[in-house]
This record gives sequence, structure tokens and C-alpha cells, in this order.
Amino acid sequence: MSKYGICFAFIAFLFVSCSSTPEKPQVYTVEIKDMKFVPDDITVKRGDTIIWINRDMMAHDVTEEGEKLWSSSVIAPESSWKTEITGAANYFCSIHVVMKGKIRVQ
Amino acid sequence: MKMIKTLASSSMITLALSVVFTVTSLAQSPKLNDAEVASVAVTANQIDINYAAVAKTKSKNADILKFAETMSNDHKAVVAQAVALVTKLKVTPKDNAVSKKLMADAEKTKKSLLTKSGKAFDKAYIDNEVAYHKAVISAVEGLLIPSAKNAELKGLLEKVVPALKVHLSHAEMVQMNFK
Repeated sequence: MSKYGICFAFIAFLFVSCSSTPEKPQVYTVEIKDMKFVPDDITVKRGDTIIWINRDMMAHDVTEEGEKLWSSSVIAPESSWKTEITGAANYFCSIHVVMKGKIRVQ
Repeated sequence: MKMIKTLASSSMITLALSVVFTVTSLAQSPKLNDAEVASVAVTANQIDINYAAVAKTKSKNADILKFAETMSNDHKAVVAQAVALVTKLKVTPKDNAVSKKLMADAEKTKKSLLTKSGKAFDKAYIDNEVAYHKAVISAVEGLLIPSAKNAELKGLLEKVVPALKVHLSHAEMVQMNFK
């Protein structure tokens, strides 16, 4: 391949790389059922959204465990709550304090 | 004073053991029909709602009050589900030896709790909650679920077990503060 050909291929590669759209934020679901977060350990990217859906007959909530940086209000049965993930966190249900979950960020 | 504390403590242990013994021995009694199973399930939940009501009037401890509020709300939710189900199934809960014995023992426990105050009350309440939840889990798994014939009634009882186990773990966590 001539040097012009290599140059053209390189420019074409740069063009394709730069014009590709950034990855779209994803939406993940965590079910609250049988007094557990399912899954109780989830890995997402910063900017993704997690929706917690309460499938139990009791009310629950989702609260950041360390500094209580964020918390849902009470999530009634068959209701849900969602938030955009800005960082990794350990969380729990502040109503049933032994129920715990983890969010990892890639 | 130490002797009084020891006596008070031993009386609550006796009370807790009697709850465990009663429900364990009831779990070995003959099987119940669905109307009787429903009655025992509603009674067992109502008893813990009643204990929570006592705690809410007598305790000033934040952990005890929060636990009592959770017990009240959760067991009311279970009662509501049970009532909705028996209404749908056209089953009328029927009093029986097990539900009567549970209620009679609960009245004795409630009277004992009402004689206490302050930290002694908090300790007695949470000790009883640990013993009561152990006993109820044993009764639901060993008596009510095997006895229930209707699939939806059996399903509701099976769905309640994880909640009872979470309540027990929560009670044991609160109990650690009163050792």
C-alpha cells in the first residue's frame, strides 16, 4: 500500500472513531422480593439508571449505607423508585436493616 | 437489687421459653383445616401487632420504637393479605386450640410486659420478640404450611417466612444492645 493509501486509511479510521456515538446509558432493574434485593450485587456504568421494584407485601426503601448520601422515600408494594448512578455504593433498607445490596461502577 | 434483676431476667427467660415450648408442642398437634390455618395465621400476626402497640406506649428507646413500628406495619400488611385471600376463597377463619392457646399466652406476656418500664421493659420486649419470631417461624414451617390444602393459602404462608426471618435477624441485632 502506498503512503497515500496508508494515510487515507488512517484518516478514515479517525473519522469513524470520532463520529461513533457515545454509549447510551443503560437502565437496570433490581427487584425487592422475599425480603432481598435481587440481584444484591450489580455492576453498572456511571450515568446508568437503576430501578428498584418492590414485589413484597411490605414497604421497603433503598438508602445509601455509609453517610446516608441518598435515599428513596418509602417504596410501597408494587411500586418502584429509580435513580441515576453517580458512584459505587453499599445500600440497605432502613426499615429492615438486615437487607443489603451493593452497586459497583465499572 | 441484683437479685431483683436476676429474678426479672429469669422470669422473662421462662416466659420466652414457654412461648417456644407452646408453639413447638402445638406444631406437633394434629393438622388443621384451611379455616383453622387462616385463624392461626391472623392471630399470630395480630399478637405481634399488639406487642408493638405496647412498646410504642412504653418505650423511649429509638431502636425499640423503630422496630415496633416495623413490626406493626409489616404484620398489618400480612393480616390485610390474609383477609383479602380468605375473602376471595370464601373461607371464614375458625378459632381452634392453637389460636386460642396463642392468644391466651400472649395475654400473659402482655401483662408481664406492662409491669416493666425503662430499660427493663426494652430488654423484655426485644427478648420476647426474638423468642416469639423463632416460635412462629417454627409453627409456620412445621404446622401451618404442611396443613394448608389450598395452594394460594400455602403460597401466602411460604411468602411470609422470609419476612419473619428478617424480623428475627433485626430483633437479634437490637437485642445485642441490651446484653
